[in-house]
Amino acid sequence: MPPSRSDMRIREVFIEDTFAEAFTMRVARVIITAASSRWVRAASDKLTGFATSVIGCKVEAGVERELAAKETPDGRPGVSVLLMTMGKDDLGKRLIERVGQTVLTCPTTACYDGLPEAPDRLGVGSALRFFGDGFQSSKVIGGQRFWRIPVMEGEFLVQEQFGMLKGVGGGNFLILARSGDAALSAAEAAVDAMDTHPGVILPFPGGVVRSGSKVGSRRSKTMIASTNEAFCPTLRAVTQSALPEGVNSVLEIVINGTDGAAISGAMRAGIDAACRDGVVAISAGNYGGKLGPHHFHLRQIMAETVG
Amino acid sequence: MSDGLEARLRAPLKERADFAEVLPGGWGSLPPVDLARNLVYLEQSGATPVGELFDLSGTPGGRIRFVGKLDRANRLAAGLSEGTVIVEGSVGNEAGLGMAGGILDIKGNAGIRAGAAPPGFKRGMLGGELIVRGSAGAEAGSYMRRGLLVVTGQAGDRAGLGMIAGTVVVGGATGSGAGLWSKRGSIVALGAISPPPTYAYACTYEPIHLRLLLRRLRGEYGLPLQRRHITGQYRRFSGDMAELGKGEILQWTGN
Repeated sequence: MPPSRSDMRIREVFIEDTFAEAFTMRVARVIITAASSRWVRAASDKLTGFATSVIGCKVEAGVERELAAKETPDGRPGVSVLLMTMGKDDLGKRLIERVGQTVLTCPTTACYDGLPEAPDRLGVGSALRFFGDGFQSSKVIGGQRFWRIPVMEGEFLVQEQFGMLKGVGGGNFLILARSGDAALSAAEAAVDAMDTHPGVILPFPGGVVRSGSKVGSRRSKTMIASTNEAFCPTLRAVTQSALPEGVNSVLEIVINGTDGAAISGAMRAGIDAACRDGVVAISAGNYGGKLGPHHFHLRQIMAETVG
Repeated sequence: MSDGLEARLRAPLKERADFAEVLPGGWGSLPPVDLARNLVYLEQSGATPVGELFDLSGTPGGRIRFVGKLDRANRLAAGLSEGTVIVEGSVGNEAGLGMAGGILDIKGNAGIRAGAAPPGFKRGMLGGELIVRGSAGAEAGSYMRRGLLVVTGQAGDRAGLGMIAGTVVVGGATGSGAGLWSKRGSIVALGAISPPPTYAYACTYEPIHLRLLLRRLRGEYGLPLQRRHITGQYRRFSGDMAELGKGEILQWTGN
């Protein structure tokens, strides 16, 4: 018989009756290919670098999944990357900057749109083509225009336009553990379980955040975010702590996705994997439900697993 | 989805015929009875309704299949702007003349000037895809402005003459004078080709866009393109230097 929702536990790990609060963002999917997976990784590592949170970065980005050669437009190894911004106008600018500086520059790469059905289009190749200084040329293949930009190595091929959709950013859950080692092991297991879920990225380092934040600051009017003291174990004695007894370390997993269903699915897999020895509870970050339109209720999401 | 129309030639054409008005704009939605009223101009006998030469059947769906010996049919799908036209055999001269869209898929050979510019016009193909699954006569794709012409067999002399843009792919040998006077555009030669003296060798490399193009031609049309073509090295020649010099001949190196 499954446990009641009033006391939901998964393998003895308490699932708090709370929700993750997430925001509508704009998302683009970029497909990078290269001569080998080495150079695919080289490009995608740079493309998704310094792109953890719009709090301090202009874009949130991550690798959605690696692509086998048979899945890519040119039959070479590839990767699918999601880039997300809060505003419509930002996304095009960020794509041009990042593809231009990190993919165009990387040996053997080509860059394609991964959202061909999206009605909103962003001119990326159409802007980057000017690097060709008049020597660039275009080809229309299967109704899509591609730009061939001459570079010292040969040619950089980039699709003229990239699709843009509404996505969801800020899905999350918190792993409340007895020790730092237990929190890290659980977080790693969660990330591994979510890795293969299509339509989501985990934009933080290794998919994990150790510095969950609250809105604003006690000490500064200009800071838009500061440490979430309620979840800091070292501050238990001097703050109104949200931590249950026995919790000595907390890690957060932040999930962005192309839609709410993708995030729910990834959260379900991640939370289930994180419920292991040494973990006391799973919680989530929210702002009281007043800021973000997307609410991911942990117990609703996990009801299927528990049932 | 409808399979479209079938036009079956009742008897072999005894004289050359101009098919330029058989598939006017909007033809894709015409039922057989209406299409049958369009005219074919026989060289000696004059205007003849399509319905007197062909048995037409099927339901309109933006697709038509011509069956029969059509090697005396000139200008088939001239000015084509929509839909898919399939010819189960060879056609005469000037097939797809000045076509602007749609697909013309010829299962046999094409005569001279396939996809070329109509007389008096400066621009040939303006769009669409013309597939010749045999050989094509002289001046295929001449003055092409946009679009794609594929000849799986041999192409006659002066293929891509005066090209302004677009792409010509030739699977077999390409005749002399390919790409002469071209401003831009690409001639992709998988067989033998001798670039004109007004083309200059640039380098040997792997053009990634050809992976996309050739994979698509293999997948979409089932053309016999091998992995070695798709992933191969190509010699790039720039030309025509007597013009803008922004055109190219990409010659497959064989490996």
